[in-house]
Amino acid sequence: MSVRIALWLQRNLSRLISPLWIPLCVFVMTYIFRWKIEGAKSSRAEYSRLRKASVPVLICANHLTKLDSALIGWALGGMTFYLRDFGAVAWNLPAREHFAYSWWARIAVYLLKCIPIDRGGSRKGIAQVLSKLTWLMNRGEAGLVFPEGGRSRTGRVDVQSAAYGVGRIIKALPGCRVLCVYIRGRSQDSWSDLPKRGESFFVAVRSFEPKSDKGGLRGSVDIAEQVMMHLSAMESSYFDDHA
Amino acid sequence: MSEEQIFEQVVKILTPYVKDEKALASISGETNILEDLKVNSARLVDVVLAFEDEFDIEIADEDVDSVNTVGDCVSLIARTKG
Repeated sequence: MSVRIALWLQRNLSRLISPLWIPLCVFVMTYIFRWKIEGAKSSRAEYSRLRKASVPVLICANHLTKLDSALIGWALGGMTFYLRDFGAVAWNLPAREHFAYSWWARIAVYLLKCIPIDRGGSRKGIAQVLSKLTWLMNRGEAGLVFPEGGRSRTGRVDVQSAAYGVGRIIKALPGCRVLCVYIRGRSQDSWSDLPKRGESFFVAVRSFEPKSDKGGLRGSVDIAEQVMMHLSAMESSYFDDHA
Repeated sequence: MSEEQIFEQVVKILTPYVKDEKALASISGETNILEDLKVNSARLVDVVLAFEDEFDIEIADEDVDSVNTVGDCVSLIARTKG
């Protein structure tokens, strides 16, 4: 089976069961973990505006916990929004070591629009995953990546740790808009596996269209750094306002 | 510029990123940058950018994917310089 057919099959199987798993995820976050998102109205409005613009959208976020992808999804849209526009459910690239370690975890990540990536793996393997995401985004699917390449060990956005693959994806998608998302639990001091039960999350978004005059690898690095600078500025605003 | 000269420059550029310094003593074209020299994969980009500066070349994203050994670096640089 070709890679493209396999991806489209994965997408449509996920869509088929989305009336089950999307409400289930929201239920678990709302009633089991009792999480709350502050500022979801404006972040959802911005994401909805970008989706209507019919341009590729790459969501780039800071990363502190293993469930950030789900939280970000929730911050950017409600159940009906995603059930109406399934392409808005962003594909993401979880580390295989954390999310695809057993058969049931592999099935779960498959059905939740994930393409596991081998962190620190071969360049070719990583390039293949990035190419799959680019192909999907060219067909109206949204993507979600964490430009730091992993959970921030300092608990703060580390501009120096920009993974150039982010720039590579953006460069391959003309007109691609980046939606930077800064999300942080009010009591989240550093990185962790799970946010605390009852946590309230601050969320802020900022969209822009990265551009670079530089070519080749240097252009990709330049774009990745632009994304990191936005996330870092958003973090500074958060700490300035909430110190 | 000969391939030997490129090799010497490549080793010089790689040296600050190498974690297994013993491997430097027996470095050859076959030496794997990540597995043998234990260069951090995230720092490979910095290495390639240093090649661009040193040899005044522009390396495409796709070409970075084929870099595994020191010899791959030398061939890529020689090919790109033309």
